[in-house]
Amino acid sequence: MTLRIEHLTKVYPDGTVALADVSLEVPKGQFVAVIGLSGAGKSTFLRCINRLVEPTSGRVWLGDVEVTGADPAQLRLIRRRIGMIFQQFNLVKRCSVMTNVLSGRLGYVPTLPSLLYRFRPEDLSDARANLERVGLLEKAHQRADTLSGGQQQRVGIARALMQKPELILADEPVASLDPATAHVVLDELERMNKQDGMTILCNLHFLSLARRYADRVIGLKAGRLVFDGTPDEIDDARFKEIYGEEAIRVEVA
Amino acid sequence: MSRSGLHSAFIAGVLAILPGFGHFYCREWQRGLVLLLGVPAQAAILYGVGLMWLVIPVGLVWVWSIWDAVCLARGGKCSAVVVCLLLLGVNLAAAWQVTQVHVPKLEPEQRNVIRQILLGLAKPDVAERKTQEQTAVGKYLVPGVGAPSSLTPVKRAPGEPTLKVSPTRARKGERLTVVGSGFAPNAPAEIILLGADEVVVAETKTDSRGRLSASFANPRYIPGVYYVQARISATVRGWQLSDTLKDAAPRMIETVYLALIGTALSVLVALPMSFLGARNLMSGTAVLRGVYILVRTVFTILRSVEVLIFAVIAVAAVGIGPFAGVLALAIHGIGAVGKLYSEAIESIEHGPIEAIRATGANDIQVVAYAVVPQVVPQFIAFTLYRWDINVRMATVIGLVGGGGIGYQLIQYMNLLQWRQAATAIWLIAGVVMIMDYASAVIRERIG
Repeated sequence: MTLRIEHLTKVYPDGTVALADVSLEVPKGQFVAVIGLSGAGKSTFLRCINRLVEPTSGRVWLGDVEVTGADPAQLRLIRRRIGMIFQQFNLVKRCSVMTNVLSGRLGYVPTLPSLLYRFRPEDLSDARANLERVGLLEKAHQRADTLSGGQQQRVGIARALMQKPELILADEPVASLDPATAHVVLDELERMNKQDGMTILCNLHFLSLARRYADRVIGLKAGRLVFDGTPDEIDDARFKEIYGEEAIRVEVA
Repeated sequence: MSRSGLHSAFIAGVLAILPGFGHFYCREWQRGLVLLLGVPAQAAILYGVGLMWLVIPVGLVWVWSIWDAVCLARGGKCSAVVVCLLLLGVNLAAAWQVTQVHVPKLEPEQRNVIRQILLGLAKPDVAERKTQEQTAVGKYLVPGVGAPSSLTPVKRAPGEPTLKVSPTRARKGERLTVVGSGFAPNAPAEIILLGADEVVVAETKTDSRGRLSASFANPRYIPGVYYVQARISATVRGWQLSDTLKDAAPRMIETVYLALIGTALSVLVALPMSFLGARNLMSGTAVLRGVYILVRTVFTILRSVEVLIFAVIAVAAVGIGPFAGVLALAIHGIGAVGKLYSEAIESIEHGPIEAIRATGANDIQVVAYAVVPQVVPQFIAFTLYRWDINVRMATVIGLVGGGGIGYQLIQYMNLLQWRQAATAIWLIAGVVMIMDYASAVIRERIG
């Protein structure tokens, strides 16, 4: 399944052009880092792919299914195949870790049982397996907001894993975390990429992290695609092109 | 300074004789409009309430506005603080006159009422000494045809008080003496001639050893056996609830329940409506926005009509009683609780909604998993708070016939039973304080 993006454009009602004519093809199993300044359109770009933000024009294809043309029911089926991870983790704070993880399964379960918080036994065992995988099984019955930031992000990953997704959209997954914790989270994304063959689109602030984890880097500037290549190809000239003339390279271990 | 070349201070000043026009000339539209409408309106209000002397300070405002226009034309701007304080002073003075604030001269009758209420508040009628009734029976004979020839002795259990009548035979008008013993000491006693009509024939008191004696003239002339009873009401150890409290407490419970069911009914309606009245959930399409505006308008209308007005209407519709109060609280409550619920929904974090939507969940699942868990604690807090308010409201509603303790209170007051009224007031205060405290603690816990 290839992700194909054609002339994707997003203009917000206030006239802000967040995304301007972005075209891209991501083959299955690639780890793509999306870099750029804050406000360059990275978040909008990811959200246009699963249509949390409705694109103004352009098309998105996931394999041979067109995301942009899908009706609401079809869109939900497509979204099941796309896991999403957020900068602010976006867990439901008052719910238990287990409920948060299980909510990743909502696209698969019928409405009525889910309203009664009833899940199938295999969903429950999957949830436990995924919590085990991110090392948080013993926290299953704690409230989500009792966990540290890094732990909450791992719960977010477990929630995405519940979807058994083919594609992961990670919107600044480590921007709220300290460098050591950031690596734990990105290592997990790398494992999902290498071991499970998931395609990963990951917004990152730091080029050093992109170099360490990504197969491919795309650079956005003011909504335009200004770079598309391997991490090694980013020299000082390219760097200034993406981040602007005044930027200084900051390396994060 | 840019204006100095454009506007003549003289023209501005002359135009400003009509309030606001000098400002319009200087393109200070907002202040000009306020002056144009405000100065005449203020003068008209003072004229309307007949306080012409207060128009003089308004004239000062007019003078200020001319000066302000001149300043504007020269490129400056005057502070309006002094004028605002002046107008505040003018209106406070007018309000003082209009509402007839004065030191009241109390008539003796009014003094008495206030004294009685204060006394009642100081010494509410909540409990009284327990009393025990003791009785003993003796008998005598009015001789004649049909009467038995002699009396059989009165049976009594050991330890019970006794009563002896002497002589045992008497014609009408002859004096009889009763002697009793074994009663509680120092208690008032009534001597009663039993029969189809009970007649109190004498009143006395027991002595320190529990004995009593009294005499009366025999009022009966028909031959037969007559029974005389001594009845004393003795104060015993311990206290019992007063009759006032026994009357008022069930009414208080009724008020709390009235508030509870009123709250429950408004929650029942407000809960589903509040989701339709939350902007963040209803901004998708024009239809949704329309529903949102409609729901919020309904909330606002219901909320802005006082409970008391609904209560008067409800009493007219369904009659005096607690149900009228329930209706009033429920209808007003829909608006009050609905608005709070909607605002709680509007203040939730958007992140979890996005996250749940991204998993492929449908709209109902998004509400159940991302919205509901975030708002439940606030919903509970608002509901408790509303119940708390409704208990206080329900009391006032009772005054206009909505049942409960308020209705009881107004009855006590109409009957000039000030001590009983004071008892009811204390009961209300106590219950309201407890509910206030309890709901605060619970809200703290779940917040």
